Amino acid sequence: MKAGVPEAGAVPRQPCHPMSLDALIGRQNPDGGWPYSRGGSWTEPTVYAIMALLSAGETASAQRGVAWLGSIARRDGGWPPRAGVDMSTWVTGLVALLGPRIVGAAPYGRAIHWLLDTTGEESTFAYRLREWLLGNNTSENDAKFPGWPWVPSNAGWVVPTSIAILALDKEERRQPSTGVHHRIDAGRHFLLGRACDEGGWNYGSSHPLGYPSLAYPETTGLALAALRGVRSPQVGRALVAAQRFFAECRSADALNWLRFGLRVHGKLPAGYCTPSGVEFRTIPETSLDLVMTAAEQGRDFFWG
Amino acid sequence: MHPKPTRRQWIAGSAGAALLSGCRTNSPPAAPAVPHQVSIVRAPAYDQSLYDSVRRILAGHRLDVRGRSVVLKPNLVEFEPESSINTHPLLVHAAREAFLAAGAASVRIAEGPGHRRNTLDLADAAGYFRTIPKFEDLFVDLNLDDVTHVRFPAQLSGLEKVYLSNTALGADLLVSMPKMKTHHLVGATLSMKNLFGTVPGAIYGWPKNALHWAGIADCIADLHTVYPRQFAIVDAIVGMDGNGPIQGDPKPVGIVVTGDDPLAVDATCCRVMGIDPFRIAYLRLAAADLGRLAEQGILQTGETIAAVATPFRLIPEFQGLRLAP
Repeated sequence: MKAGVPEAGAVPRQPCHPMSLDALIGRQNPDGGWPYSRGGSWTEPTVYAIMALLSAGETASAQRGVAWLGSIARRDGGWPPRAGVDMSTWVTGLVALLGPRIVGAAPYGRAIHWLLDTTGEESTFAYRLREWLLGNNTSENDAKFPGWPWVPSNAGWVVPTSIAILALDKEERRQPSTGVHHRIDAGRHFLLGRACDEGGWNYGSSHPLGYPSLAYPETTGLALAALRGVRSPQVGRALVAAQRFFAECRSADALNWLRFGLRVHGKLPAGYCTPSGVEFRTIPETSLDLVMTAAEQGRDFFWG
Repeated sequence: MHPKPTRRQWIAGSAGAALLSGCRTNSPPAAPAVPHQVSIVRAPAYDQSLYDSVRRILAGHRLDVRGRSVVLKPNLVEFEPESSINTHPLLVHAAREAFLAAGAASVRIAEGPGHRRNTLDLADAAGYFRTIPKFEDLFVDLNLDDVTHVRFPAQLSGLEKVYLSNTALGADLLVSMPKMKTHHLVGATLSMKNLFGTVPGAIYGWPKNALHWAGIADCIADLHTVYPRQFAIVDAIVGMDGNGPIQGDPKPVGIVVTGDDPLAVDATCCRVMGIDPFRIAYLRLAAADLGRLAEQGILQTGETIAAVATPFRLIPEFQGLRLAP
């Protein structure tokens, strides 16, 4: 795996669909957070909404969202998926992506530590010892290249690993450190080891129970983003798969992540415009579209 | 979240359990005092005749849903409209119309897929928007729903408590509408396994890996105990065999299997598929009284099992699940 300078991928364009910040602000709950589509506030849509608003220079509504996030931070340094849930999960990586200026230096630092301390269960010594005692085979790569789980004490998966890499990559550019660099590198090896034969990524293993799995558009886009600057056969095949998905797919969620993945590898078509007929149904879909559009215009929240 | 030793693990660790297990295998289980009705109705195709069939099925079960809130829980898995992977939208719409005709106050459709996050796009690809008027207004994404922390009454799995969708918990009647499929981890996925979709992905992720680590069979059995008011409508018009529940092959069976006891329904489906229900771990775990799985303990109506039996291909690891000839 070789990390290098990313190819230029930003494509300036005008918004080509009537997605409005006002609509996003109008969906904010009284507590300051956002639902996925309706109901109570959740961490994931709130982070994406904050990114979208700040990318557009809208601060008042975003600050109320940040305050809500601050109110639900957990003592272990992580974030729960919503208020009242008694465990920190993968969404901690999303909050860390907001950075110390937005989240606050101390909570941000604790979030980075939480990420560094969290691995998929299959990588832990306790799990591997138990499997060894039971006579079960374990993969050496699981120990060498840990990923991140959705929730602690579970296996590592492609989406939470990609999000954690994106957060740590941003942190490393802010403040280089060996520990952060090591986890990013290991996480990227985790992803490369799970690439599907046809190119791209499923949510988890490339061969569950020995059968080849099929790649998904959204996971392929996200994993490609986490592999920014990486040159490898897996990335090359994934880019081909992503371009195929991009031409066919009409899911807003998948298109958002494909735009992201293709852009950071310099493969997003110039003058990209969201195809007609794509429905933006949830707060994450709406917000990420705005975030990706701003990034294509040079205001990149993930790398900025 | 650290799974605790489960009741099953404690039992399995004792010599007494081995003896008990032996007794269960060797002695025919007694039938329950009040057998549950399971109906098998022929439905050769996904066509307009389903609407009348489902109405007659509900009437045959004498379900009183007047004024009640009903939640239909289909199985949505993948973006493959031409495959047999998802519960067919026509059957779901027929069920909605039938429950409304029977006097239900509301009939919503709800699902929380285990792999794909973009549920509405998945439902769109599966034909739900085309088939069911105002689908988006009727639908609840259980992965993103508001939740309640619930303690499993039976404590069979390593999960002491679990967050579950309020829409599923609040239903007066939760109607599980799975596809009849083989499953590469538990043998068969039917009405009970389908309830994994009520566990929110927004908390546990995609897939809901916490359920795997706590024991899939144990979690299926635990979830069954959380929902006391259930009905099952199994889409076995075209099922899936081989390497299900995702990469298997379409398997035409031409029936709909229904009943108010998911254990009895799933046991019947297993027999149709050529699988011994006593060898499906989650059915054994959930059936405190194994008589509920016994053929003589189920009030069979409509077609007989023998008349519709359609052996499903099983992956090599599950050849041992076959019903004895």
